[in-house]
Amino acid sequence: MNSPPPVRVYLFTWLALMALLAATFTAAHFRLGAANAAVGLAIAAAKVALVGLFFMHLRRASALIAIFAVGALFWIAILFGLSGADYATRQVSPAPWTAPDGH
Amino acid sequence: MSAAPSPVPAAIPADIPWRRETDSLGMWIFLATEAMFFGVLFLAYAHARIADPAGFGVASRLTHAWLGTTNTAILLTSSLTMALAVRNGWAGRRRSVIALLWATAALGAAFIAVKGVEYALEWRDGLVPVLRFTYAGSHAQAVERFFFLYFAMTGVHAVHLSIGVALVAWLAVRDRDPSHPVRRRETAECLGLYWHFVDAVWIFLYPLIYLVELWR
Repeated sequence: MNSPPPVRVYLFTWLALMALLAATFTAAHFRLGAANAAVGLAIAAAKVALVGLFFMHLRRASALIAIFAVGALFWIAILFGLSGADYATRQVSPAPWTAPDGH
Repeated sequence: MSAAPSPVPAAIPADIPWRRETDSLGMWIFLATEAMFFGVLFLAYAHARIADPAGFGVASRLTHAWLGTTNTAILLTSSLTMALAVRNGWAGRRRSVIALLWATAALGAAFIAVKGVEYALEWRDGLVPVLRFTYAGSHAQAVERFFFLYFAMTGVHAVHLSIGVALVAWLAVRDRDPSHPVRRRETAECLGLYWHFVDAVWIFLYPLIYLVELWR
């Protein structure tokens, strides 16, 4: 950042964040089924992308820093991917000594 | 009999380009580990919610969506003032930096105050697992799990934010002394990255806590 970004970039980012907050709060008042969670998470991801690109300056960051930022997301994806695969594909088989209520 | 050259120069030039890169990179590596730390909590939330989606809907309606939304707006605005503080530091506008840092610390403290009000309401309503949990309506087990995760995640988040507030205030005080302006710009930048990360965690917490079944 030899010449810092103009102030208006930050103000527009903030306005976009506030608009997305209003959008997600409004959308949550409508019954959309599974889309409720999807909309909420998609808008959250959009907000985090704005914060990352413009407030944390990832848009101007070097490749090395970008690798670590993307790497963090990659490891989170592994955490959710492998754990999710486990929970999604395994049956619960109660052991013989499990208490009658299953806990 | 030649004197061995000192391995370290007497004075490292303060404003060399890679120093800034190195500082930021170190902070990003730390934030990557922080992402894993919060990641497991989000995974626990996902598991518990998938186990009883309706129960999490019931629990979410017991939270205070307006307070949560207000707090999200407060924290997003604090990220603006923090980002502008870093930006103006690099632009050499020191006095506005100090004002922006104080604004950031104040907004962070306001967030924590609102969170405290929420915690007090939840204590009053008997929604605090282990310590004071009196909810006996439908999906009681899922509601208890929701609030256990709620206190764990927002509590850890609030600790992170409190540390951020203290560091930002410390920097605002230190910035009044102009003797080492270059080095402190980098401190501000790293602190900014931390602040925005804590903001990003909250951005994901917000819909998962408050917006699960707002339509009902």
